[in-house]
Amino acid sequence: MADLFGITGKIARVDLTAGTVTVIEPAVDVYRKFLGGSSLGAYFLFKEGIFDPMLDPLGPDNLLQFMIGPMTGAAPNARITVVTKSPYNIFCASTCGGHIGSEIKFAGWDGIQVVGKASKPVYIAVIDDKIEIRDADHVWGKGVEESELILKSEVLAEIEDREAMIRDADLNPTWAAMRPPKRKGMHAKRLAHVMLIGPGGENQVHYACICTEGARAAGRWGSGAVMGSKNLKAIVVRGTKGHRLADKKTFMALTSAVLKSESGDAFWRSYGTAGIGAASAYVEDAFPIRNWQWCCWSDPTVRAITGPFMDSTSFVRKTSCANCNLHCLYPVEITSTDPLMDRVMSDMPDWEAMGMVGGNLGFMEMEGDDPGQPFTGTMRDQAENLAKLQYTTFIHDNTSLDFIEGGANIALLMELVQRGFISASDLDGIDLKWGDVHAVDELVKKIAYREGIGDKLAQGTYETARYFAELKGKPEILDYSMTNHHYGQPAHDVRSPKDKNALEYVTVNRAAAHTGGGTGGFKTGDYAAAIAGQNVNATQNSLVHCQFAAGHLAGSRIDMVKAATGWNDFSDEDLQLVGAREYALSRLFEVHIRQLKDPKEEWDKQVPPRWFFDPLPNGPEKGAVAYEGKPDVLFNEALPAYWKERGWTEDKGIPTLDTLKKLGIDDIAGDIAKQHL
Amino acid sequence: MAEVKRRDEAPKPTKETKEEKPSGGVSRRDFLIGSGAGVAGLVIGGVVGNRVIGQPAAPGSAPVAPVAEVPVAGEVPTYKAGFNLVFDAVQCTGCNNCVVACAEKYATYLHPEETANVMNMEFARIRTMRFQYVDVMNFCGYCNLFEWAEGSSEYPCAAVCPEDAIITVPEGEGVEGYYGMGYKWIDQDKCLGLDACWRCAEICEDQFASGISFDPVNRKAQVCSRCGGDPECVKACPEFGALKWVPAARNGRFHAFIPTDHAELLYRKIYAHVREL
Repeated sequence: MADLFGITGKIARVDLTAGTVTVIEPAVDVYRKFLGGSSLGAYFLFKEGIFDPMLDPLGPDNLLQFMIGPMTGAAPNARITVVTKSPYNIFCASTCGGHIGSEIKFAGWDGIQVVGKASKPVYIAVIDDKIEIRDADHVWGKGVEESELILKSEVLAEIEDREAMIRDADLNPTWAAMRPPKRKGMHAKRLAHVMLIGPGGENQVHYACICTEGARAAGRWGSGAVMGSKNLKAIVVRGTKGHRLADKKTFMALTSAVLKSESGDAFWRSYGTAGIGAASAYVEDAFPIRNWQWCCWSDPTVRAITGPFMDSTSFVRKTSCANCNLHCLYPVEITSTDPLMDRVMSDMPDWEAMGMVGGNLGFMEMEGDDPGQPFTGTMRDQAENLAKLQYTTFIHDNTSLDFIEGGANIALLMELVQRGFISASDLDGIDLKWGDVHAVDELVKKIAYREGIGDKLAQGTYETARYFAELKGKPEILDYSMTNHHYGQPAHDVRSPKDKNALEYVTVNRAAAHTGGGTGGFKTGDYAAAIAGQNVNATQNSLVHCQFAAGHLAGSRIDMVKAATGWNDFSDEDLQLVGAREYALSRLFEVHIRQLKDPKEEWDKQVPPRWFFDPLPNGPEKGAVAYEGKPDVLFNEALPAYWKERGWTEDKGIPTLDTLKKLGIDDIAGDIAKQHL
Repeated sequence: MAEVKRRDEAPKPTKETKEEKPSGGVSRRDFLIGSGAGVAGLVIGGVVGNRVIGQPAAPGSAPVAPVAEVPVAGEVPTYKAGFNLVFDAVQCTGCNNCVVACAEKYATYLHPEETANVMNMEFARIRTMRFQYVDVMNFCGYCNLFEWAEGSSEYPCAAVCPEDAIITVPEGEGVEGYYGMGYKWIDQDKCLGLDACWRCAEICEDQFASGISFDPVNRKAQVCSRCGGDPECVKACPEFGALKWVPAARNGRFHAFIPTDHAELLYRKIYAHVREL
């Protein structure tokens, strides 16, 4: 193969059933069409036939892909995207920060794909070209924090793994007598990086995530369950080859400029996503409180979810991903009078956590009060409330569960208890009241280990609602499931006109993603702009770089791609096309694997009725509902207009053959499209 | 970081002049002194290929540097002897900016052709290690043994080197661009390389820190030279105070920690946790 830059041209395919590793070398043309990350992952889902409706996401045939892009490595703000068929039977392309994305490039790969199922727990050690399937019995069952530190120490590069050489005679006699060498040899000079699952993933909880660096995760759509179904505990990567760049000088200069720009970004550098904090409640009226019954507290003194409060209470450090100056992750040590939580290490909480396992679980009010009442506690009480939120973040992270879906799931149960649909006897005796962190702790552990009722709840929010709706014979229970395409809604609401437009959640290609982009376009009804925004975000997940840093990279993104790859004719339009391809493929993927005859009725309309029929009870946007309470406007006017703009059919939202041809993907997706047009 | 002015500021040399330097044992400085040019001017050592022709410290003699000259507040420090790198683990975010700056500097310097199109962090003399919730920075601490206790006052890595390949380039000498303090350098001709010997790295990990790594191209040892007194890593660091170049205790061994030990200490300090790493 010709000299490649940016990309390495090699993807490792590990077959756990056979215990073999093969190397896939996609043509450069494939890279130019899909770049890497989420789009290239989507391409492989089609190429490898993962769209087969009969293929069990948790079976051995599913393809679990850890994908990076041409910039990942030396570029700023590197991330990694995990692409697979989700246990929810949807498209999964979940991104994650940390250093492991870069490390995979340094080891000489554009991605690692896993198929098959190991007969016993294993982990994959990637040491440059050498890929080993190693026994993971010693870490199976252990939490994320503990396992990661063990695995990190077990994988060494060839240039650092050495037996003992020093003898006493190498030292002078005085020294040798004083302190004889321990003869342990030479070890890590840079540490390996790990992506792994905890008990939640091992037990195939549908919303299990894949974690790295303790608190970062490819969180959504249940990739951790897929990993667990393969008996794969972790992938551990150590690379020493570096990142090949076509024009290193330009690339490094652009990188320096991005980093310099980031150094002046006071927003991220102060509190990370915690900086959004109370503005979402008191300005936007869009903060999840008690399963979205409220989106704002009537008393604005509730402030434990604000960055400055958290920082003053518990932030002890700040951590960056590879080559990033935004350091948006703040580790904390919890301080509480409650021994359950005191001295637990956790992080932040970040934006989604503070919403989904904070406000949403009723942690922020005093016992017996509701969010519409004045706050009756002290500042010390608020700090205790924050501790509950941080602790719940920790138990989700450490068992490798997604706290967005997890928060939606538990909040649903709490609302069902509140409304008297279910009681403690339905939950193995756990009395699940708003704000009770001990009950939440018990329940999350039951879910992670699939014990008792946890086994039912482990299938996610929508299935939880369906289970209880059937059990109690009350279909209205499904109305309280805050799920969008049967998947938990993250901490952005659609009722307040100041946050997201409902159409954004309906159209985003990864169910209920809050990072789909195009928010401004959806709000103003400019669907061309919305689509451009979605395409850009999909491209970012393909390159793969962080969306938080997107503003700093926006001006130089295309120049960096060119400098990295040497594709001098590559343009911004090509970047747009990458996103458009991913959207077309993922739409077809979901329609096909679910065999939807009428996608709009069966799929697109599967959103929470609360959006339209449950007006905001208080706050600056009191009384607001999505689309003025008219779902027909959304589904019969806005959605077809969006589909049309995309070049998809207006009745079903299927990419037309013309569109596929224009995108250059009719060869891989044309046949599937014909079945559904 | 503010641009640091040096008393012995030298014009940036071009590559050609580098290659023309004689490889004799007489340093440029001696020559200048001998010819009456004084010490204030250029300080340039000879370089042949990758080999630095400095004057190794006399065997047995400790590389004792003068007492640090503390800069007056507001004044730009002009003299770096007695300075050391100081790392603040709470401020450090593990972003790797320092690692990339260091790797790029030495890769370009030592292997300009092989690395013309590669950014490889393995060339870095300074390395972040993320132990999940703490980041540890590894670089040579410039440890000295204590004569009265350990029978020598050498650098421990130099003491175990069978080839005397770890040399100390005396203050004011060495490669162009490296002036100010005496610095460590691996004599690329003498070092046996990783496939034959790793005593320096092993003794460092065994008893002191993790300051020595290996070059992925020629597989020789790598050690922090402090860029001769104006470290790139410090200039690249975006976090105020995370990595400082300051007058500090002379025996670097008290700044140096074995990485896992350091991480354990930091878990205690930052999270009040006992972790066994």
